Amino acid sequence: MMRALSQPLGSGPEYNALDLVCAPASMKTGALLDQNLAERVRERLEGLAATLPDLFGTLDPTCLERIAERLGGDPDDATFGEILLLSDRSLHVIQPLASRPGVALVAECPATSSIGMVLSAIRARVLSMEGG
Amino acid sequence: MSVERESTRVLPSIPASPGLIASVLRLLAFIDDLPKGATGVLKFGDSGLILLESRKICWAVARSMRLRLTDILRNQSTPPLPREAVEEIYRRCKVDGRPIGEALVMSGLVSEAGLRVALFKHNGEAIAHLAGSGLSPEAFVSHSRTGYDPKFSFSPCEVLAMLGSLDDPARALAAQIELGNTLVPDSFGAAFVRSNTVSGALVIAVDRACDLPVSDLVEVCNWTAGLFDVAHTFDPEAALARAVWGGRLALVTWRAKDVAYVGLCSSRAAAARLVSRLESTAKSSGVIAAAARYGGPA
Repeated sequence: MMRALSQPLGSGPEYNALDLVCAPASMKTGALLDQNLAERVRERLEGLAATLPDLFGTLDPTCLERIAERLGGDPDDATFGEILLLSDRSLHVIQPLASRPGVALVAECPATSSIGMVLSAIRARVLSMEGG
Repeated sequence: MSVERESTRVLPSIPASPGLIASVLRLLAFIDDLPKGATGVLKFGDSGLILLESRKICWAVARSMRLRLTDILRNQSTPPLPREAVEEIYRRCKVDGRPIGEALVMSGLVSEAGLRVALFKHNGEAIAHLAGSGLSPEAFVSHSRTGYDPKFSFSPCEVLAMLGSLDDPARALAAQIELGNTLVPDSFGAAFVRSNTVSGALVIAVDRACDLPVSDLVEVCNWTAGLFDVAHTFDPEAALARAVWGGRLALVTWRAKDVAYVGLCSSRAAAARLVSRLESTAKSSGVIAAAARYGGPA
């Protein structure tokens, strides 16, 4: 499963359209967890993966709880569920995996991709991975 | 006829000190920690006081401050309000027990917006003096008297941003306008910068709906600053981000020049609208290019 997850998402036309790569990474260490990752995929993802400890270990959960309360949301769910980061060049996505605490799927694709399609592809992949 | 300006023509005589913002944060956090509906007087002995209504700041005064509200009101109009007219109203208010500011509005000498600006400066200066003196509040005496017009009361966040804005008032004004033009219903936000005057983020503008505890606001800004810091190690052009949590809540952050913005959204739809609005803002090519592609489901 991990190997499949680390492949470019989709195949054939979908892959060509999105040029999306993804892989699981440790939110604690920032390391990519797939040892068999192709070098070109690793190069595209390891910078994003390395940020995970900074992004997920530095904001006090009680702070998010209080803000959630003010916003009328669910204060019991005080961790980020998905982070998108956009630039002229790339779209980066971080999607923590509910079934694997401490692990997130990190993904990257060129900025020319449709964000909606990218998110749909990632969510479908996470769903199939967690369901499977 | 008076013409009030939002500018800093009358700058509060705020004591310059590298630790001032940290001291102000401690004082405002004390207010945030009071019960939600806290109404009463926060006393600082002989040094001053802060009047609160539902934990919002209605009036603050410090013995060490130099400018009076009437001075600020007089001097923020062009031409300055005649001293005699202001003093006459002041005398009447003393007899009637009415607030001077509201009487000035009733008289037509000052507009509501002008009064709000003047009160904001006055209260901000008083809080800076109280915080800068190193005094802690001696007591909070609650009372049931209410009646301050909410239009003329301020959240701790607003006061924090006002003091942060003094570092560069023009930049803060531009940030305030950016927030006003960008935020959407069901969202509120803040603008911040990095500054030598504080160890973390310096909040320089908030919209009026922003009523977070100051410590939480600063923490979120610090996290956002860190997000861009780490993102720039692998993508120097990263200029827009969105994080979701709590089921349907979202944080949207973007950068324009040296100012970073945070919008907190109570729904995913609001987050989508906020990002969509960024698309039409022609200020930062990095932000626009990224936001323009944001057409998919949130």
